[in-house]
Amino acid sequence: MVLVLPALAIYLSIVVFPVIFSLATSFLKWDGLTTPSFTGLQHYREIFADPVFRLGLRNNILIVIVSLFGQIPIGFLVAYMLYRRMVRGSSFYQAMIFLPVVISPIVVAILWNQIFSPSGVFTEFIRLLTKNPRFVFRIFENRTFAIVPVLFVILWFYTGIYMVIFVANMQKITPSVIESAIIDGARESQILLRVVLPSMINVIFTTALFAVAGSLKSFDLIFAMTGGGPSHYTEVIAIFMYINTFKYYNYGYGSAVSVIIISISLLLILVLRIVSRFFEKRYE
Amino acid sequence: MSSHYRIPKQFRSIEDRLWNGGALVVIVFYTSVTILPLIWMLLTAFRPHTEIVRNVFGLPTSFYFDNFTTAWRLGRLGIYILNSIFYSVVATVITVYLSLASGFALTKLPYRINAAIYTMYVMGLLITVHAVLVPLFLLESRVNIDNTRIGIILPYVAFGLPFAIYLASSYIRHIPDSLIEAALIDGSSYVSLFHRIILPMSRPVMVTLLIFTFLSNWNEFVFVFVLTSDTALRSLPVGVNAFAGNLARDFGLKFAALVISTIPMLVFYFFFHRQISRGFAAGALKE
Repeated sequence: MVLVLPALAIYLSIVVFPVIFSLATSFLKWDGLTTPSFTGLQHYREIFADPVFRLGLRNNILIVIVSLFGQIPIGFLVAYMLYRRMVRGSSFYQAMIFLPVVISPIVVAILWNQIFSPSGVFTEFIRLLTKNPRFVFRIFENRTFAIVPVLFVILWFYTGIYMVIFVANMQKITPSVIESAIIDGARESQILLRVVLPSMINVIFTTALFAVAGSLKSFDLIFAMTGGGPSHYTEVIAIFMYINTFKYYNYGYGSAVSVIIISISLLLILVLRIVSRFFEKRYE
Repeated sequence: MSSHYRIPKQFRSIEDRLWNGGALVVIVFYTSVTILPLIWMLLTAFRPHTEIVRNVFGLPTSFYFDNFTTAWRLGRLGIYILNSIFYSVVATVITVYLSLASGFALTKLPYRINAAIYTMYVMGLLITVHAVLVPLFLLESRVNIDNTRIGIILPYVAFGLPFAIYLASSYIRHIPDSLIEAALIDGSSYVSLFHRIILPMSRPVMVTLLIFTFLSNWNEFVFVFVLTSDTALRSLPVGVNAFAGNLARDFGLKFAALVISTIPMLVFYFFFHRQISRGFAAGALKE
């Protein structure tokens, strides 16, 4: 037990205890200084009625959608092309596409902000294309679409990780399986859909689990890129929680938000489990 | 290892040729979109602000190094890099050692409570850092470790453990029981068994864990941002955010700061990108 205890002590005091504490304070009205008072489910009711929270939730759902239906399929397709060596220098391309993984989200955020800014490369590029020297990127001022550039950066930043996961797992497929498929006259699309995809179902669903959990936790990148602004247009739940807690000192409210984040990821993961069972049965 | 078994060109169907052409377009395009912004960042860091504003696409006209020296000095990047190295190295070594010990105990030793503890760690993968910030902040000020290095390293370790234990356990589980039983018969204790047999045998997963944990510790942002107010304790991401985040009057400085803080990781990537890939790939494996 000596082997388990140090880790357990750190984990219990820094993760488990605070989580329980958060759960408890979510039922309290508390500013961190004065005596807390019990409010029951009041915070949860207020949160779901809060338009800013709803916007944040919508943005979070968009991030989940981009991860599941953008990062994973694109990562898979690129991985397949590299795995099948359709271009020369596969390992070079793989190393380049995976590179953003080591860069700090803060640096990525500042860099892309600069690219989209009025004096940035993207803006200049559009100016040249449209021959309109006064073009300014106004999407951030639009309530509905302000999140789009952020989604693009998320796609740019994380797709390489999925590609690498898929390539590594494709390489575990016994080569002779694919060779015999080719000898039997299988076309490329058949190899992809009938041989590689079925054997990757498990991996796809496991990455989907990580994608969902990761998407709901996204904070650093958006925080440094827009801070949730302008006027909450790019807010996500984690930033909403951060602002309520550390700017408005509404600890109970903030705690209730974090309880909601955890509940939503548990729920989504449960749904994914059920969907993956269904697919596993179909492919057996 | 991978399947490079392909049909000779003259026998390929139209579909296969389309695949090849399409692959070239997709991959070259994707690689450019990934790399060009980074190259732009690097080149622009060598240009003075006035030139950048005049033409954002321009290349450096001379070897202009002032941005780097000024950013280094004004941004106090040297201190932040040292801090980051300290936090990342110490937290990584502790996390990896503890996760291997836990991975061994939880998968190989006969305690009833093991499954429950393991589940608790795996659940930790879902916990957002933000869910614990307030209680953690209160806790740290209560025991007087807020604004200290130990108060930064402990959360790094705690939040590194779930994934590290998950990975360590999945590797150690496959070490044959017979080895462990033989050592126990020789009268060795669990602790010495861990040090003499399990640690050396876990070397492959240990390398993956070290690199992977180091990477996430290096890029960690929120803990230092929230738990410290002392600027001398800042890590590199927090320091760069404070210095370059809202720096509008000198883009050259801004880019130089970004480049300086990215270079250590590019060197790291150059040496270890295979192991980093392996870490990510191993995490997504289903047993």
